[in-house]
Amino acid sequence: MSQQEDTLNCDDYKTAVSADPGFNDETGHADSCASCEQYKNEIVAMNEKLALAMALEVPPLTMPELPVIDSQKVSSLVARRKLSKVTWFALAATVVMGVFIGLRVNEMAATAGTLGEQVLAHVDHEPQSLKVTDTPVAASRLARTVPVEVATMNHDAGLITYAQSCEINGKMVPHLVIQGERGPITILLMPDEKLVESQSLDGVNVRGVLLPVGDGSIAIIGDREEQLDRVQQNVVNSVNWNT
Amino acid sequence: MDMFRYAAWLCRDKSIAEDVVQEALLRAWKSLDALRDDAAAKPWLLTIVRRENARYFERRRLETVDIDNLTASQSALLAEAPNEELTDLREAIYRLDDDYREPLVLQVLMGYSTSEIAELMGLKQGAVLTRLHRARLKLKDEAAQEELS
Repeated sequence: MSQQEDTLNCDDYKTAVSADPGFNDETGHADSCASCEQYKNEIVAMNEKLALAMALEVPPLTMPELPVIDSQKVSSLVARRKLSKVTWFALAATVVMGVFIGLRVNEMAATAGTLGEQVLAHVDHEPQSLKVTDTPVAASRLARTVPVEVATMNHDAGLITYAQSCEINGKMVPHLVIQGERGPITILLMPDEKLVESQSLDGVNVRGVLLPVGDGSIAIIGDREEQLDRVQQNVVNSVNWNT
Repeated sequence: MDMFRYAAWLCRDKSIAEDVVQEALLRAWKSLDALRDDAAAKPWLLTIVRRENARYFERRRLETVDIDNLTASQSALLAEAPNEELTDLREAIYRLDDDYREPLVLQVLMGYSTSEIAELMGLKQGAVLTRLHRARLKLKDEAAQEELS
């Protein structure tokens, strides 16, 4: 054990753990220090969440057109190594193409259908947004989801409990949830989806409406028993496009 | 997948990450001869992604990104998290300086040791440890502030 390890104090320990949660504490400092043990547990828990957050969805990737390699040069390589690399690239290409085909099929399925069908499908895909709660979404999150360049909103719409940017018809749009009398109501602000007239939306357990608003439209979807007329009026009055 | 995720966290834009990975694969194919050890294929590819990303930004001289004013492609990076907590965490990672974000991605996502990160990034191991420590402190501070708000 080194002298440095012998003299490990709380600050040293916390610095080491936050630099590397797998830090091997040979001095056993955390065993005798509740504060440091708790700190390590927090860092390890945060690391697990970081790994989840960093695992981005991988989109369809197309392989570049590969140039022909001069076989005279390659022939000088050891046979086993050459075969291994080619196999490696073949496997990589297979995986990439597999991901490409799979995601393309999903993408085609997702983009098929009218705007109304996409809106209803999207509500089904984000069930976590439909929580009954009285906790408003953080103002900072709402500001990021509905940037002033897109729209400004006043508080007439109701208690906003969820805000997320989501893709509808190939465009990122604000997805909000307010609390209605019969449960959560989904609102999608689509400044680029111009409509000629209102359209009714009819889902399995939900119903809603697509409303033309200026050069865009707003989708409002709620429980079948929800009185959407009043909600519609409040939402439309609360939104001003800035695009 | 690792190549794409690494590229996406480097450049913080899914469309650019796709271009970077394609260019990197092409460059790797052309310089296959330079790979001396099959076991080193992954770090070799990540190094190429890293250089390709730097080339991309040198060519385009892109400005730094303001998180409140993102393009659709940049927003897409943050929009797909399965819940609000992970979305907040993604945004916090997104806001980290490049110097802090990259070693964190290499450690957490790629499972690299601090010495391997140092080698890949051309840094001393002590500098990597400092950056990782500061990165996590920033993320902890942001999480605490988010809870308060």
